[in-house]
Amino acid sequence: MTTVSIASGKGGAGKTSISAALASTLGTSCIFADCDVDAANGAIALGAMAGVAEPYFAGLGFSIDSPACTGCGACHEACRFGAIEPAPGGDAFRIVPELCERCGACADRCPVKAIVRYEKQAGELFVSNTRHGMTLVHADLEPGEDTSGKLVALVRKRAEKLAGPDSVIVVDAPPGIGCPVIASITGSDLVVIVVEASASGIRDAARLAELAMTMKRRSIAIINKTGLNAGMDDRARSMLAGAGIPLAGEIPFDPKLRSAEESNRTWADIDCRSTGRIRAALDAVAGAVRKLKEKP
Amino acid sequence: MVIAVASGKGGTGKTTVAAHLALSSSKNRRTLLVDLDVEAPDASGYFPEAEPDEEPRTVSVLMPELVESKCTACGLCARSCRFGAILAIGGIVTIDQKVCKGCGRCVAVCPTNALVEKPKPVGKTTSLTAGKLGLLEGRMDIGDIRSTVVIEAAKDCATGIGAAVQIRDCPPGVSCPATHSIEGADYVILVAEPTEFSIHDLKAAMKLTRERGIPTGVVINKDGFGDADVAGYCERECVPVIGRIAFLRERAATGATAALWRDDPTICGEMDRILDLLLSGAGTERAL
Repeated sequence: MTTVSIASGKGGAGKTSISAALASTLGTSCIFADCDVDAANGAIALGAMAGVAEPYFAGLGFSIDSPACTGCGACHEACRFGAIEPAPGGDAFRIVPELCERCGACADRCPVKAIVRYEKQAGELFVSNTRHGMTLVHADLEPGEDTSGKLVALVRKRAEKLAGPDSVIVVDAPPGIGCPVIASITGSDLVVIVVEASASGIRDAARLAELAMTMKRRSIAIINKTGLNAGMDDRARSMLAGAGIPLAGEIPFDPKLRSAEESNRTWADIDCRSTGRIRAALDAVAGAVRKLKEKP
Repeated sequence: MVIAVASGKGGTGKTTVAAHLALSSSKNRRTLLVDLDVEAPDASGYFPEAEPDEEPRTVSVLMPELVESKCTACGLCARSCRFGAILAIGGIVTIDQKVCKGCGRCVAVCPTNALVEKPKPVGKTTSLTAGKLGLLEGRMDIGDIRSTVVIEAAKDCATGIGAAVQIRDCPPGVSCPATHSIEGADYVILVAEPTEFSIHDLKAAMKLTRERGIPTGVVINKDGFGDADVAGYCERECVPVIGRIAFLRERAATGATAALWRDDPTICGEMDRILDLLLSGAGTERAL
């Protein structure tokens, strides 16, 4: 089993479109793990058909039973995350679930045991068939939930369970470089860094490249949206050269590409001026994956 | 007034909209642009003339350290930790500071005071000035996972600086970093683009702002770039479209360099209009 993760630092750099096209290049036997659980678009990109859903529980949460609360404020003092505020009315406190880290420090400190535990569904995990043939593992996190890293780990575990010894898992990572990104690239055999050829895109990709390096992950890059500004294209290339990351290819900006998702095609099989460059970049990544399969 | 610029999907143009709104607002009132996308802070890149006001401030989290001479290896700390950051096996206690969130629960339960807390840096905040505009940037250290701590620190700093208008550039997504970033805002602007991906993610972002009870409007960026009907979706959801930025290839080309469209009368007019709308209180009634 070989795992290749697609990440970018910056959002909107083209991770999901490139992940879907890479999956299509690798063939129907690969498994697509959509780890952008906040904003999961793999199902749109690959044309998911009704899949099997199962509930996702994030673990115990805490809430304050207001009749029992004496309003002493010990919980408010114990909370390091600013998640406990005076309840409307003012003689009790309440926990803001969106800000709560579920550490339980408040429950330990409450002198009247007014803090109760509850378990609430925080999202759903799906295994779906897709119009493009490969299996898709994806999830929907309830907006405001705080355990995206845990759900990412679950998506990956499920994908690994479905994978055979020869399978390739394509991980579509979320933007940023934080907890869910680390969960997405942990243990990956290859990280494909998608660099948007823009000032912000290059800066964010450089931060991601540094993260991948500290996590000792092998990386390869694709520069996306080239041709808008030659200076930015050069800057992207020299950033990668400086970081010692090989370049799989470049994808010129083409407004036609965004229509792929609406026509149920991936970038690998859409017909536009950028097609040749896209296929070359994807083939280079697929070649790197093949090499890893032979000699991990 | 605190205006948070957010979106479910990344790359829709949050930073672009936030930077232009802040620039427009700074012409007439004390304005602070607050970069809360601490994993990928890019707002200051739009203002190369910005000068730091002072040395960056370090953001730290209190992390427990073991005083081995006092530890009896009772294991209470490991059992109390909800993040799996403490292992107590065979009489040896080990703390994984990478996973620890610094909640302090282990320290409180330790019967022999064998855990002491020491601040560990997780990021920094930097205050800058660009002409009449104030900037405050939160930046998480690479390899860290405690983005929300840096976000809260940046919010505190911004409150301390004080401004008539605060424009927050928020991170993408709808989980903890996004939630912390919109918390305390008077209004949320969700930036969307006319693509199916964006509509799907906008749905989740609208659900979040609705649950938090924050008035919300949508700015459609790259208008004309795709055919997906964002405006129709907003209408069905009863969320107003408060602005539009048309897609032009030349704009994409200058946008790539993080150059502001300072002299573009259409953009400047649109930003002024959005600010007037929000500052006059129109459209800020709570979304149902």
